[in-house]
Amino acid sequence: MTASLVIAPLLVVLVTGVLTLVVRPWPRLQRVTSVAGVGAYTVAVAALLRVVVFGPGPLAYQVGDWRAPFGISLVADALAVFMLTLTAAIALYAIVFSVFFIDTDNQRVYYHPLFQFLLVGVTGSLLTGDLFNLFVWFEMMLVVSYAFVAFYGEAKHTAAALRYIVVNTVGGILMLLAIGGLYATVGTLNMARMAELLGAGAVDARPVVGLSALLLAAFGLKAGLVPFQFWVPSVYRSAPLPVVAVFAGATKKVGIYAIVRLYFTVFGATSVTIDLPLVAGDSPLAFLAPVLLVMGVASILLGGFGAVSRERLDGLLAYSSIGQVGFIAIPIAIAAGTTSESLRHLGLLAGLVYALHHALTKGLLFLSAGVIQDGAGTLRLSALGGLGERSQVFSVVVFVGSLSLVGIPPLAGFFGKFLVFETAADQFAGAPSLGNALVVAVLLAGAALTIVYSTRVWIGGFWGEPTAAVERGAFAVSEIAVLATLAALVVLVGVGFDPVYQFADAAAEAAVDTEGYIETVAPAADHAAEGGGH
Amino acid sequence: MTLTIALTVGTLFAMGTFLVLRNDLVEIILGVSVLAQAANIYLIAMGGISEGAHSLVPVLTTREAPFPETADPLVQALVLTAIVISFGMTAFMLVLSYRAYQENGTMDVREWER
Repeated sequence: MTASLVIAPLLVVLVTGVLTLVVRPWPRLQRVTSVAGVGAYTVAVAALLRVVVFGPGPLAYQVGDWRAPFGISLVADALAVFMLTLTAAIALYAIVFSVFFIDTDNQRVYYHPLFQFLLVGVTGSLLTGDLFNLFVWFEMMLVVSYAFVAFYGEAKHTAAALRYIVVNTVGGILMLLAIGGLYATVGTLNMARMAELLGAGAVDARPVVGLSALLLAAFGLKAGLVPFQFWVPSVYRSAPLPVVAVFAGATKKVGIYAIVRLYFTVFGATSVTIDLPLVAGDSPLAFLAPVLLVMGVASILLGGFGAVSRERLDGLLAYSSIGQVGFIAIPIAIAAGTTSESLRHLGLLAGLVYALHHALTKGLLFLSAGVIQDGAGTLRLSALGGLGERSQVFSVVVFVGSLSLVGIPPLAGFFGKFLVFETAADQFAGAPSLGNALVVAVLLAGAALTIVYSTRVWIGGFWGEPTAAVERGAFAVSEIAVLATLAALVVLVGVGFDPVYQFADAAAEAAVDTEGYIETVAPAADHAAEGGGH
Repeated sequence: MTLTIALTVGTLFAMGTFLVLRNDLVEIILGVSVLAQAANIYLIAMGGISEGAHSLVPVLTTREAPFPETADPLVQALVLTAIVISFGMTAFMLVLSYRAYQENGTMDVREWER
């Protein structure tokens, strides 16, 4: 019975999505339904969290009662639940903010159903235990995001949407190629079964390295890592800002989640000799480590310098989010490259905590950009100024967000940065080489660039005399009130960090626990019941 | 047979890549659909392309019981799903391309707003 809990979040948003379509003639009811649906989603995720992390342990739901490896399994382990929690938190704020932010006519134009189906896509991607099913959920998530990018329907939005579609369709095709190849190699698409066969050395694992590289390209594209970052700025400037908060907070993290899930949980136990120039090792992780490290380093630098030179707040935040994903990628790359179990655990933990911090903080900042857009009618930094004088509460909110992004204790961002630096420093202490020193240097440079562009926003937007746009503007109290609670949450996560740490600790544990994952999806007792094999 | 399939997939990928790199939007959309078809043919081939021998069907090779002569049904189900997705995507792109043409006044993507 408890296994059914796995599909609860999925069902809630799916049903709400349909309901919001049904009640479309009554806008007020539609808004209430939509917010209540995301609220129920949060409750469902919390229930799942209680069972999986603080209760009996990970759960698997076999769709249609077709047992793994033949049917599709949905798996909720600590890692998936961690990402779900982060999604639920940011989605709840985004939908409540949307009700105030998006004008009522636009809300009637399928805004709410689309939002629910975006959550369906994200939730499905996080829960699925089947590789092809992951592709389908990805597509679902993407179709909705295409519609959101083109939502306002003017020249720049349609142009951005078409570019985004072409890039992501090509990414989807790469993923299909990898899936086909893996199926031909391993003979199954069930991720647990795949991990089992690869770990036991039952199949020739050599093609897996190359095929996993195709997957890395597809997932890197979702995560917006350099060199796949080029879609990020135009998309983040086009979609409605509350949705951008979900894009930056949740859908980007799905790419990161997929990298961790596939490489660490599924391919982690594979033993295969890699002998390439610059890449040598005995598991696909050895391939992931240098590649992801370079991608992360390039993301931090490109995102940081890009953000410093932007003219508009949304562009600045978009580049900042490219850089911040680099901060998530680097500890994961270090975790992939090390042989030390404790460092691997620390790296994954750091990546996850940073992902949580980034979802909350960047969500807060994108929503704050929404308040400014709504009030002042512009996001050009040159046209803004003196916001501090207009609304003290709003200034405090953005101040908390900026400080958290920079990493000042005791905010959520401090622990993210701290753990990332600890990972890099441990790696350097374990193997003092030029490369490892460079990684630490790049992280420091990235942190310094974050300070620079946060200061730019602060000086440009909040200090000084109010400009004409700011003077005339009306800043919605309701929107600011919503953001104040989110800012309080950012503080709370930092101050009461211990439970968050425990949770991320369990998630990092689950990421490398291949045997636990296999046991959850296809318990050994089932094997015995069927006469010792299929 | 293997060679024919490999050549077909290769040619389609080459054609698709060429079209995607063009400036005209309709050619780009055609290119994306050609790429999707190439991936579909590749996917079908991954189930084993000789007829009817169960030893060639990946989903069955890891099992032991005797099986009847069969082609791999799983890849066909996958391709069906992939076709539906790429079909929907192409339709959406065509509709959006019309709107983008109305807004931008040209089909040449180089002249579009950044």
